[in-house]
Amino acid sequence: MANFTTDGKICIERQVKVADLNEGQCRDLLTRFDVDETCIWIKENNHLKICLQFPDDLLGVSAKIYEEIKKQIDVDVYILGDTSYASCCVDSVAAMHVQADAVVHYGYSCFTKTNIPVFTVLPKKGLNIENIFKILNESFNNDENVHICLFYDAEFEHCKDELSQRWFNQYPHGYIANVQITDKENRFLGRTITNGKGHEYTMDALKNCICVYVGTKEQTMFNFTVSVSALEWYYLNSETMKLEHREETTWFKRRRYLIEKCKDANVVGILVCKLAGDQTKDIISRMKKLCKVNGKKSYIVSVGKPNVAKLANFPEIEIYVMIACPENDLYNTRDFYTPIVYPYELEVALNSNREQYFTNHVVDYDELLPGKRQYCEIDHVKETTDVSLITGKIRETKVDSCEGSSMDLVEKQNWALENIGQNLQERSWKGLEQKLGETEVKKAEEGRKGIALQYNNEPE
Amino acid sequence: MGNTQRTTLRSILDTQTVVNNAKFVFKIYYARNRTRRLCVNFTVDEIRVMMDKKRNIRNMSVIAHVDHGKSTLTDSLVSKAGIIANARAGETRFTDTRKDEQDRCITIKSTAISMYFELEEKDLVFITNPDQREKSEKGFLINLIDSPGHVDFSSEVTAALRVTDGALVVVDCVSGVCVQTETVLRQAIAERIKPILFMNKMDRALLELQLESEELYQTFQRIVENVNVIIATYSDDSGPMGEVRVDPSKGSVGFGSGLHGWAFTLKQFSEMYADKFKIDLVKLMNRLWGENFFNAQTKKWAKQKDADNKRSFCMYVLDPIYKVFDAIMNFRKEEIDGLLKKLGVTIKHEDADKDGKALLKVVMRSWLPAGEALLQMIAIHLPSPVVAQKYRMEMLYEGPHDDEAALGIKNCDPEAPLMMYVSKMVPTSDKGRFYAFGRVFSGKVITGMKARIMGPNFQPGKKEDLYEKTIQRTILMMGRYVEAIEDVPSGNICGLVGVDQFLVKTGTITTYKNAHNMKVMKFSVSPVVRIAVEPKNPADLPKLVEGLKRLAKSDPMVQCINEESGEHIVAGAGELHLEICLKDLEEDHACIPIKKSDPVVSYRETVSEESDQMCLSKSPNKHNRLFMKAQPMPDGLPEDIDDGKVNPRDDFKTRARYLTDKYEYDVTEARKIWCFGPEGTGPNIMVDCSKGVQYLNEIKDSVVAGFQWAAKEGVMAEENLRGVRFNIYDVTLHTDAIHRGGGQIIPTTRRCLYACLLTAQPRLMEPVYLCEIQCPEVAVGGIYGVLNRRRGHVFEESQVAGTPMFVVKAYLPVNESFGFTADLRSNTGGQAFPQCVFDHWQILPGDPCEAGSKPFVVVQETRKRKGLKEGLPDLSQYLDKFLHVYLKNQKTRGKWIFREHYFSKIR
Repeated sequence: MANFTTDGKICIERQVKVADLNEGQCRDLLTRFDVDETCIWIKENNHLKICLQFPDDLLGVSAKIYEEIKKQIDVDVYILGDTSYASCCVDSVAAMHVQADAVVHYGYSCFTKTNIPVFTVLPKKGLNIENIFKILNESFNNDENVHICLFYDAEFEHCKDELSQRWFNQYPHGYIANVQITDKENRFLGRTITNGKGHEYTMDALKNCICVYVGTKEQTMFNFTVSVSALEWYYLNSETMKLEHREETTWFKRRRYLIEKCKDANVVGILVCKLAGDQTKDIISRMKKLCKVNGKKSYIVSVGKPNVAKLANFPEIEIYVMIACPENDLYNTRDFYTPIVYPYELEVALNSNREQYFTNHVVDYDELLPGKRQYCEIDHVKETTDVSLITGKIRETKVDSCEGSSMDLVEKQNWALENIGQNLQERSWKGLEQKLGETEVKKAEEGRKGIALQYNNEPE
Repeated sequence: MGNTQRTTLRSILDTQTVVNNAKFVFKIYYARNRTRRLCVNFTVDEIRVMMDKKRNIRNMSVIAHVDHGKSTLTDSLVSKAGIIANARAGETRFTDTRKDEQDRCITIKSTAISMYFELEEKDLVFITNPDQREKSEKGFLINLIDSPGHVDFSSEVTAALRVTDGALVVVDCVSGVCVQTETVLRQAIAERIKPILFMNKMDRALLELQLESEELYQTFQRIVENVNVIIATYSDDSGPMGEVRVDPSKGSVGFGSGLHGWAFTLKQFSEMYADKFKIDLVKLMNRLWGENFFNAQTKKWAKQKDADNKRSFCMYVLDPIYKVFDAIMNFRKEEIDGLLKKLGVTIKHEDADKDGKALLKVVMRSWLPAGEALLQMIAIHLPSPVVAQKYRMEMLYEGPHDDEAALGIKNCDPEAPLMMYVSKMVPTSDKGRFYAFGRVFSGKVITGMKARIMGPNFQPGKKEDLYEKTIQRTILMMGRYVEAIEDVPSGNICGLVGVDQFLVKTGTITTYKNAHNMKVMKFSVSPVVRIAVEPKNPADLPKLVEGLKRLAKSDPMVQCINEESGEHIVAGAGELHLEICLKDLEEDHACIPIKKSDPVVSYRETVSEESDQMCLSKSPNKHNRLFMKAQPMPDGLPEDIDDGKVNPRDDFKTRARYLTDKYEYDVTEARKIWCFGPEGTGPNIMVDCSKGVQYLNEIKDSVVAGFQWAAKEGVMAEENLRGVRFNIYDVTLHTDAIHRGGGQIIPTTRRCLYACLLTAQPRLMEPVYLCEIQCPEVAVGGIYGVLNRRRGHVFEESQVAGTPMFVVKAYLPVNESFGFTADLRSNTGGQAFPQCVFDHWQILPGDPCEAGSKPFVVVQETRKRKGLKEGLPDLSQYLDKFLHVYLKNQKTRGKWIFREHYFSKIR
């Protein structure tokens, strides 16, 4: 897919920053990257073709790990670099190019489901547990009875045992959100909540709980703050060791504004920025259906990694709904010509069965699909009119009714055509200008060669 | 609240017996059952018959400065209908249907009332124009709209003026012509509404100020002059409306007291004397005004004042009134009896033992009943729809002046296609639903008919803002009472049911397929004061949003905005306006408790100099380059654009001519204005100053899109831009179309424009009120103190001639006006009362880029509120290095050297 939009050459020539490894570090590669466990997993599952997916910053060690694996077992191994969208997601499409049986994912992970067997190797980072408890004790008065839940970066999963022990010692009524790599019923954004006795809970248990997130991944932390309702949220930066209170009310206000924008839009762009998993297909068709039911025109847009320039190429699209891993910050950027919303927000705007007011966001679109916690059926919408507080104009819901005579169909089609035609009519440039008689006659010149992105003979 | 109003009016209606005056029969229809005849003389069917007699219809509004007594005067008209007994006229504010209106004694919403009145045979001769009266019909149907006087509600006045043809301008003869008198009168003239004048509160002039008759004449004379000066400024008698000025000797000026229920024009007095003097009525009216003096000894008329003669107006008009006042107020019983006999006034038995003011009222009211004088003035001097629509059509209709709709309006033809303008929405008892109130200008609007409903954004041939729907019901609207009616022909005012969902505030209803819109109303006030609202209980947000939508409909001007930051803003003309709107929102529309922020103003971003360098921005792929500069517009041009004198729909050559003549713009450049913005109409322009750039037209749409984006969200605080002209000097584009698509150009244009703004000494603009304060001399000092503390500055101070009152006019930044009224009152012992109306935008002194300056603080506050990064925008983010380009283009050096040279020239 990547090759549709980017010239392979650019990708190969791109410079990435990698950390050089010295001898000592090489030796502990085996433990740092769970090479032994990886090999055991491969053997047990009889995978014959394996892809090792590395994020850019780990490409430096990729060859070493490749060698180590090859040393232990005899399977076809490929290294995947330059992931199509985000390196936290498993690039199953790239894996399919080599018809691999399984993927070993290295580096930071977002734990979303895939349709290919994955072995996740979590990064490991040291944590100053002593210090963390000191700070927490200061802030929460060393109260034993306080209901408090600990979240931490996946990088600290390796010190989970020590962490849990100290935690439940300190807060016997507390909870810990452990990293959960395999999909489970109670798993939420890659975490499950357990208490001191090892019972699992859903996220609802945290309603009257103070939550503390320890780590450095702000986006992950952010996703939890907006989607899990808790008494209070605190962020403890594991590097600077600073504790901050987090509240996202302004963010919610902005998102509600964007939901109104969705209602205003006549043309919706479904921006596909993730390919792994069947649920991507499902959510795309769901978004399409929502638009159709509400009489809005939708286009599927796939432009690789989205940026301002790419998306501004479609000025007729009034809002983009981005199907992507929640671990990216594009949803909140204000630089785009047209705003980008989460699938959940389009749902709130266009699905009449959904509660208009929400205090918890759903960042992971997987939750919206049938059978999931946040699923909500799509109903037929009645033709209505309403005032938009953004434009101050009347906004009309023109519905495509399934039943109706053939004449209706023609009318509806005409309406759709008119809508598109209107957009084009508003453009002042109608096509190449002939300028008959104004241009001087010239001999044919040699034009450009190659593809538009980068010609073989650029003018500069 | 709807319920309380109903009970108050019901109780009045139930307790009052229907009094039929021999001459006047006014009725208010409120019965649900049309067969039930509440009034002896009228049913809906009979009113419907009157509606067809289009020459006998008068649609009029009552307009005035606040507290000049419109509603009270209107009451004295309505009182004749038996709705309010004669004795209570002047004490009940019939047209103030809302509870808060009654409590505050201030009109907030305009209200319509229909009246029926028959002119006597002898008065009919005064109507000479055949289009002013159907042959052999003495009855007149008068649709009167009482409008609010406070400036904050001027939009209601605008909406009222649109559906009427004439205006009764009420002036308090003690305070004279005030700022709001001028504003509404100016608006009336601009809409081609014919004015007549009424001098109110004569009782105060006599009782409180104790003016001598000559002094009073001078006061009247001055008011008439002032009014005529305003009229003459905005129209002339040779215009399509004919003579517009008011003239007491023609009978188009009335005098009296609304509160006491008496009024007269010179016609009334001439009738009293005509027989005695054996002079023709019209001639006598002329004699009774102006420089006409009569010598009682020699019985000679003169044109100059001398020792023995006396001004005729004082002698024949004022003296008798003075005598009555004098006798009654000094309790000279015998003299009173003599006078009453002379005047032919008999006092009813129940009033016999009254004295003082109470008796004065009774006497004056029976001698010079206000209703009679006023209604005669209205019927004789205000135009019928037939007359008015002839000259109003070109002001009302946007389409060609010879299409079917235009002709229908022009001829007020009930058989032509329907053209109706909806000027406002009136809430019904059914929450969230509204009656669409408006005027039928052509054709007939019929219950159950299919019609095209066109909103203000409709453009002929397109489908935006166009709905084809059934008119569910046509209704007559009187105050809050409605009565279903089968159909309403052209020239009448009515309400529609079932249209409200398709219109936000106003719109055009038609049956003509090719009809254009009727012109959108232009308000004299702007929504410059803003308050952010949120529900006290966050979960009530959907209710708040629903309430805001209703509020947006129910007021002609209020703006309810959902901002980018997600805040909900209510914007209105002033504090009072907002207070009322928020009260309605809380109690009627949203019905939830609401948290309100302090009022804030919206700012505009502008530049004060030309960009100090040529700004270059490169597209993300580095293949396209834009070279632009920003410069401030000359003074007056942004206002011209606001007023529509310069607008995007003009022919580009005419527009260029205008800009060249008035603002000395280069004519070739002025012809190449690419667009206005924001929203395609705002007071900023993009001018193509480039020469011979290839593919330029192809990127125009993208550049315009980028410009609209930047003009809406400026670089400093994402506020709208104002008064900025951007010039494109050069563009280099990639030869391949795919490399110069919207994606490359739109964001780049925005960056480049931001760079232009930052290099052109950016400034902030704040809205400024024109503030008029009336007070006695002792309070003037206090006013200055308050104004100084609030950055206001006085530009005019004068005494109202003939009174001890002073008028101070000042400019006051809107931002400093919050709590101004209260502050002023406490500093002047409650003697000063300000009227503030938005006047202009003014640069907030100081550089917003300089930390600590006032604009800097404003920018930071705004950014914070909007959830933007705090701090200042960084120029290097938007500007690309010029030199770099030059060096990179060594290969094509010749071309670039030329460019460098070219730029150094423009620089």
